[in-house]
Amino acid sequence: MADAIIRTENLSYVYSEGTPYEHRAIDNVNIEIEKGSFVGLIGHTGSGKSTLIQHLNGLIKPTSGKVFVDGEDIWEKPKEIRKFRFKVGLVFQYPEHQLFEETVRKDIAFGPKNMGLSDAEVEERVLEAAKHTGLTADYLEKSPFELSGGEKRRVAIAGVLAMKPEVLILDEPTAGLDPKGREFILSEIKAYHESTGATVILVSHSMEDVARFASHVLIMNHSKVAMYGKTREIFKRVDELCEIGLEVPQISRVFAKLREKGYNVPESVLTVSEAKEAVLNLLKKGGEADA
Amino acid sequence: MLKDITFGQYFPGDSIIHRLDPRMKLILIVAYIVLLFVADGLFSLLIGAGMGVIFYALSKLPWKLVIKCIKPIMPIIIFTAVLNVFFVEGEPLFEWKFISISEKGVLTAMLMCIRIICLIAGSSLLTYTTTPIALTDGLERLMKPLQKIKVPVHELSMMMTIALRFIPTLIDETQKIMAAQKARGADMESGNVIEKAKALIPILIPLFVSAFRRADELALAMECRCYHGGEGRTRMKQLKLSGKDFGAALFVTLGFAAIILMNMFGPEVFRL
Repeated sequence: MADAIIRTENLSYVYSEGTPYEHRAIDNVNIEIEKGSFVGLIGHTGSGKSTLIQHLNGLIKPTSGKVFVDGEDIWEKPKEIRKFRFKVGLVFQYPEHQLFEETVRKDIAFGPKNMGLSDAEVEERVLEAAKHTGLTADYLEKSPFELSGGEKRRVAIAGVLAMKPEVLILDEPTAGLDPKGREFILSEIKAYHESTGATVILVSHSMEDVARFASHVLIMNHSKVAMYGKTREIFKRVDELCEIGLEVPQISRVFAKLREKGYNVPESVLTVSEAKEAVLNLLKKGGEADA
Repeated sequence: MLKDITFGQYFPGDSIIHRLDPRMKLILIVAYIVLLFVADGLFSLLIGAGMGVIFYALSKLPWKLVIKCIKPIMPIIIFTAVLNVFFVEGEPLFEWKFISISEKGVLTAMLMCIRIICLIAGSSLLTYTTTPIALTDGLERLMKPLQKIKVPVHELSMMMTIALRFIPTLIDETQKIMAAQKARGADMESGNVIEKAKALIPILIPLFVSAFRRADELALAMECRCYHGGEGRTRMKQLKLSGKDFGAALFVTLGFAAIILMNMFGPEVFRL
C-alpha cells in the first residue's frame, strides 16, 4: 500500500520492564492504515488499544519496532516529535478533563498556538474547529467550566481539530454521553472526515457505531492485532468474533440467523437502512425460505 | 517518571515485625527513642544499638535499607560530630593553637552519632514495616484519649488515610493530563525556568479541578453510605494485641532495664 498514512513495524511495548509488574501491552503489531480511511478500533479493556494509539503520535516510545507517519519514522529525530503530534491528533478518553483556559476560545487555541501559527491563523482555526463541533460564537467567550458535560467534550474535541490533524484518533469519544450527545459527536466526526478527507481512527465499544461509520475495522485481542480489514468483511466473521468475546452489530446478528434459517438475505448487513432494503427485497420475492 | 516516587517507604514482607500491632510498634518506637537518651555511656548505648540490630534482623529487610535511611541525614551526623569534638570542653587530648580536642568531646561526639543513627534507623524500621494505612489506624487508636479534650482524632486520621489513598490516583491523573496536553503540542522539556513554570499551568489547573471533583464525589459517596464521623463506628479490621506484641514489649522492657542497670552499676569508663 503506497499511500499508507500510518504504518507500524513489529511494534511492541512493555510496561515496567524488568520489574515484577512487567506487562506486554502491545505485541508485534504490524498495521497499515490507508490515507482517508475511517478505522474502527475495537477490543476488550486492556487489549492494548489505548497503548497502541498513543504510539501513533509519539506519546509513547516503543520498546521495539517502528512507527511511520506519511512514510517518516517518527522516532528518527526525537527532538522533532512534536511535529507528528500536530499531524496525528489524539483525543483521549474523557477529554473534557484537560480543559484549563479561561475561555473556550483560548482553550481551543492552545494547540494551534503551540504549532507557532500567527494570531490571525489561530483565530481562523478556532472558528473553523468551533464550527465543526457545533459551538456557536456565544460559546467562545464562556468559561469551559460552566458548560455541560457534552458541551465540554465538544470543546475538547475542537481543541484537537483546531490543529487540523491529517489523522484524527479518538478514544471512546462518546463514553458517558446521552444518546443525543453521542449521535451529535459521531456525526460531527463523520462530517470532519468527509469534508477534510482526514484519516480517522475511532476507538469504540459500540459495534453499531463502528458498523455505521467505519470503512475498516481493526480488532485487538490480548495485545495483538486479531483482525484487520474492510468493515463488511470483518463483520462476516461472526464466529471468530464471538470466540474473542466480541459481538457483531445486532442487525448483522439478526441477518446471520435469518440466513441460517435459509432465508435468502445478503451475507453482510451492517445498518438499519441496509436491513430495511434486504427485508423489502425478500418480501418482493415472496419471502419463502429457500431450503 | 512520576511513578518512581514511592510514597512512604513501606517494604512489603511477612516477618514478625511486620505483623506486630501498629499501636504496639508506635509505643515501642517511642520507648526505644527514650531509651537511647537514657543511656549515658558507651556500654549502655551499645545495648540500645544491639536491640536495633536485633529488630532489623527479625524484620528480614535487606540491610541496605539501613544505609538508605541514614544517607540523607549524614550531613547532620557529621556536623554534630564535628561540633562536639571541637567545642565540648574538658581535659585536652590534643592542642594546637586555638584548637583543643578533649577526651570528653570525642566521647560525646561518638555517643551522639550512635544515638542519631539508632534513632533514624529505628523510626525508619517503623515505616518500612507498617503500611501508611495501618500507621494512621494505630495513631488514631493511641490518640483516642485526646477526644476527651475535644481533639477531632477520628477526623484527623480519616483525612490522613484519604490523603494517602489518593496519592497514586492523583499521580495517575497527572500522567493522563500530561499526555493529553502533550498531544496538543504542549512543550514541557525545553525553555527557561519561567517558560517551564508556565508550561505547568495546563497541567495544574485540570489537576486541581479534578481533585476537587473527586473530593466532592467521595464526600457524597461517603454520605450515601451514612458516614457520620467516628462516633459509634466499628471496624472491619480489629486491632488485637497478641502474644508477639507482649513479647516485643517484654523485650524492650528488658533492654530498658539492662540499660538502667548498666548506667548504675556498669564500668566507669566511657561515661559522660
